[in-house]
Amino acid sequence: MRKLFSIGLVRGILGQIVGTALGIGLLTGIRAAMGLGWKAEPAAVLGAFFGVFGFLIAVGAVSDWWKWAKGEDTLEAEEFKDPPGMGRYFGVSLDHKVIGIQYGITSLILLAFGGSFALIFRTELAASGMQFLTFDLFNSLVGMHGMVLIISILLGIAGMANYLVPLLIGAKDMAFPRLNAFGFWIAVPASLVLLSAILVGGFDTGWTAYPPLSLRAPLGMQMFFVGVFFNGWSSILGALNLIATIIRMRAKGMNMFRMPIFAWSVLATSLIALTATQLIGLSFQLVMFERLFGMPFFDATKGGNPILFQHLFWFYSHPAVYVFILPGLGIISELLPVFVRKPLFGYKWVAMSSMGIALTGFLVWGHHMFTAGIEDYLRVPFMYSTLLVAVPTGVKFFSWVATLWQGRIRFPVPMLFVLGGIVVFLLGGLTGPPSGTVSTDLHLHDTYFIVGHFHDTMFGGYIFPLFAAIYYWYPKITGRKLNETLGKLHFYLMTPAFLVMTLGQMRVGMLGMRRRIADYDPAQGFDTTQLIITIAGFLIALSVLFLFINLIRSAKHGEVAEGNIWESRSPEWAMLPSPAPMHNYDQDFQVVGDPYDYGLAGSRYTELVTQPVGDD
Amino acid sequence: MEKSLPGNARRVLIASANPLYGKGLEKLLSQQAGGQPIEIRLASTMSATLEALEQWNPTLVIVDYDDHTIDRAQFLNQFITGEGPMQVMLVSLKASGAAVVYDRRTLSSDQTQDWLHIPTSTQPPQVSDVPRRSESMKHFAIVAVLVAISTVLVDYLLRTIGLLPIEASTQATIIDRLFNTHFMVISFLFSLIVVFLVYSLIVFRRRGKETTEGQFFKSSTRLEVLWTIFPLAAVIYFSYLGSLSLAETRKVDPQALEVKVIGRQWSWTFEYPDFGITSDTLQLPVNRQVLLKMTSQDVIHSFWVPEFRVKQDLLPGENLVKELRITPTIIGSYKVRCAELCGKLHAYMESPVVVVSDADFQTWVDDQVKLLNADPATRGELAARQNGCFACHSIDGSKLVGPSWKSLFGSERKFTDGTSMVADEVYLKNSIIKPAAEVVAGFPAGVMPQTYADSLTDVKIADIIAFIKTLK
Repeated sequence: MRKLFSIGLVRGILGQIVGTALGIGLLTGIRAAMGLGWKAEPAAVLGAFFGVFGFLIAVGAVSDWWKWAKGEDTLEAEEFKDPPGMGRYFGVSLDHKVIGIQYGITSLILLAFGGSFALIFRTELAASGMQFLTFDLFNSLVGMHGMVLIISILLGIAGMANYLVPLLIGAKDMAFPRLNAFGFWIAVPASLVLLSAILVGGFDTGWTAYPPLSLRAPLGMQMFFVGVFFNGWSSILGALNLIATIIRMRAKGMNMFRMPIFAWSVLATSLIALTATQLIGLSFQLVMFERLFGMPFFDATKGGNPILFQHLFWFYSHPAVYVFILPGLGIISELLPVFVRKPLFGYKWVAMSSMGIALTGFLVWGHHMFTAGIEDYLRVPFMYSTLLVAVPTGVKFFSWVATLWQGRIRFPVPMLFVLGGIVVFLLGGLTGPPSGTVSTDLHLHDTYFIVGHFHDTMFGGYIFPLFAAIYYWYPKITGRKLNETLGKLHFYLMTPAFLVMTLGQMRVGMLGMRRRIADYDPAQGFDTTQLIITIAGFLIALSVLFLFINLIRSAKHGEVAEGNIWESRSPEWAMLPSPAPMHNYDQDFQVVGDPYDYGLAGSRYTELVTQPVGDD
Repeated sequence: MEKSLPGNARRVLIASANPLYGKGLEKLLSQQAGGQPIEIRLASTMSATLEALEQWNPTLVIVDYDDHTIDRAQFLNQFITGEGPMQVMLVSLKASGAAVVYDRRTLSSDQTQDWLHIPTSTQPPQVSDVPRRSESMKHFAIVAVLVAISTVLVDYLLRTIGLLPIEASTQATIIDRLFNTHFMVISFLFSLIVVFLVYSLIVFRRRGKETTEGQFFKSSTRLEVLWTIFPLAAVIYFSYLGSLSLAETRKVDPQALEVKVIGRQWSWTFEYPDFGITSDTLQLPVNRQVLLKMTSQDVIHSFWVPEFRVKQDLLPGENLVKELRITPTIIGSYKVRCAELCGKLHAYMESPVVVVSDADFQTWVDDQVKLLNADPATRGELAARQNGCFACHSIDGSKLVGPSWKSLFGSERKFTDGTSMVADEVYLKNSIIKPAAEVVAGFPAGVMPQTYADSLTDVKIADIIAFIKTLK
């Protein structure tokens, strides 16, 4: 029992249960004192808030800060001892690599949840007519699929960034290790609250939660809001930490233009996450208040405006898609030179294109509202800014192609996913402009075309690069390689299935299939395509299952990875054994060349600093 | 002139003042040698060249044709006086790597002239693909051709595969024109990237156990600027096209027919203020612009008829009435479907949209106006006519496909299964909404459509029954 209790996660969940009960009890008590009866919604919301705080206190994510507040000393972050073995992953650790893996595993669990939700409603859609789902459950699943996967992506990015950035830039850890741990642990209870939404009535609004529909939705809507709200904290704090780390903790000689390109993409992404996430929290909070306290922010009959919500919501949620894809594009740019044996073409331009996308990403949110009823002329500037995104994105594509040109290309599994990512993201990119010019969007808006376009950008910009990163860095994490055959099976099953799925979605969308409908008119003739899309969806799920099996199996039975298995110039491969040791580099290194000078004889990126570095 | 070089142990001398020229060729030659013994020397000055020619006696001399520090007359002199077999190859990078080979033993006087004077416009007679730049040009040429072919194919595919529903409005035609422009650009960019990518994967892959690195080049500011400026110009132009197209779809016709559209969970109502009509079907005259003024009674909905292309959300709130202009161009039946998630039955929020000729529209309006003031039986007669009942059911007692309605109400009906029943209101309603349940003896089963339960409102059914009751 005591042993069980020593596991942070167990303590945290107990803390969340106790906190939730406290919150519900407190509110009900206050209402009783005021002579009011039981009311589920306010009680549940306060319970959810208290539950999250209860988890954080119980898991120990705020203990050190509490001690500081009391004026007590704590251990330095480097002296912090993790429990041995697997135990360290289930409790608070300040090691960026442990936190990175914690993020990553949580992300994969949510990926499995979000994907399974899709499989359920995809089965429903395999034929016209209602097969086995109720309308309410269908709508809830659609909304959950969206938001759970968004959270999964955010955590996945945090995982990659946490694990890799300090290794890539030669830092011992992140700038603020405790904040880092807090950022991860707040995401756990927040995700639990989010998942609970489906158990307390779900919600029928999709992940966009537009009022007035979200004002009338069941209780699950509030759990959705609370879950997203706290996950937003995680995102903001993580971004802050990454920016500070990248700006301040690079190895000697590593000026900004000698950073591995992935660090640039993380920097760009973090700048967006740090400055935009507040807006989605705010917009959801306003709906929450309107529901709880009757404040009519979005009720037109009482002086509110439903369009206001959409502006606030998309001011985050559009840049958010760049949060999702920039690190993935960074992974592509990072891995491509290794497998092409050539420098990344136009490094500075690629780095700046990430910043360019981040910047223009803030100016385009209105394109989600072309049919929403915003002022007519307002649609035109948003069309210009939207298409402008194509310019920095184009720079990336052209640079990748130029990198491939006259290389000596090899095709291990990570490279396959990199190439798959480029092609799929290209499809996502090319289907953007028709949705970005207003008049064509009047047709495409809210159709399956958008669904297809969006899945192309997400898979090309995140899922494919994520899988590439997993196959590439898994040996660095575990010391063992993932199975190559299973990996190839994964790729060659997923890629065609995915292309069939999204091309099918775009086709039915253009022909008139609306988004988020539980049933469709057989007269429109979509049955066959829908069946094919469903089959393709299941094949994707099967292929990801291969990855999961591979991840678990290879941890014990994989081929041992010794040395610089990819012949990379990057310091984590060139200068560290696998698995990467605690506190990373025991000797500091300095940067003496450019990161991607493959094919330049005698050039080096890093070398050890010979003299011991004094305290500065 | 021989192309293959004699002898097993090849000795190659490269004469050029440009070190890159020598290094590049050296690398290329050693790769091409494929295991055969080869010795390569570089000479960067005239004197070093002559010396090597004299003492080392190479089998092949490669001379940089563009390099004027090499004195050709002197070199030629030395070359023709020698004894052993020797070839010289003149390679010009300025002429995209054009090369010409001369053999010491078969040298003609024409060739000597060619050699001494840089040809102004005529290409050297024999072109080989040895040097790097021409290799590179070859790759580009192949890719360019493939990109062009692929662009045409993809564009053709996108246009002919049937991606869009029929164009049933003026706005649809305008929008589809922009779609076609999009298809063209998409086809080109898709082909450009994918052909370059796939070509690289095939041609520049590592073969076997090869461990060589790729060509070392890091960036080209000219290229980067080029592929920033061109897309920038393209997207600005596209936005401009998009603006024009948007303006065109919104062109105002002062004669437009005004219709008020009301959305609610989960149905539509259409009001015609000019005529005082309210309908659950959107009836439109062909080739006349209709101005839809749209509002919602509860949550956000969206008006979309795919064949008309354009789409507009309906917002709750009296001050948030949104407008949409459509000019239907093809007579036919369509459906308006809600495109913004609006709760449980979102999927089923649809209503018929019927585009008719001017005359038919006027008839419809007249009928509707008449209906407003008419008694149920009159409305019923109209509904029966609008729904095509009289095609099969007479009102004068004559036998058509189905039983006549004359003296139907209150009569004894005999069915094909031998049972019978008195035709009361319940029976008549059931016969309309479930015509296959009981079939009157003497009439074929399964002829009457089974869709009236959906297409007729309860009021209309009651009206039709009231009309039947009057047919004594």
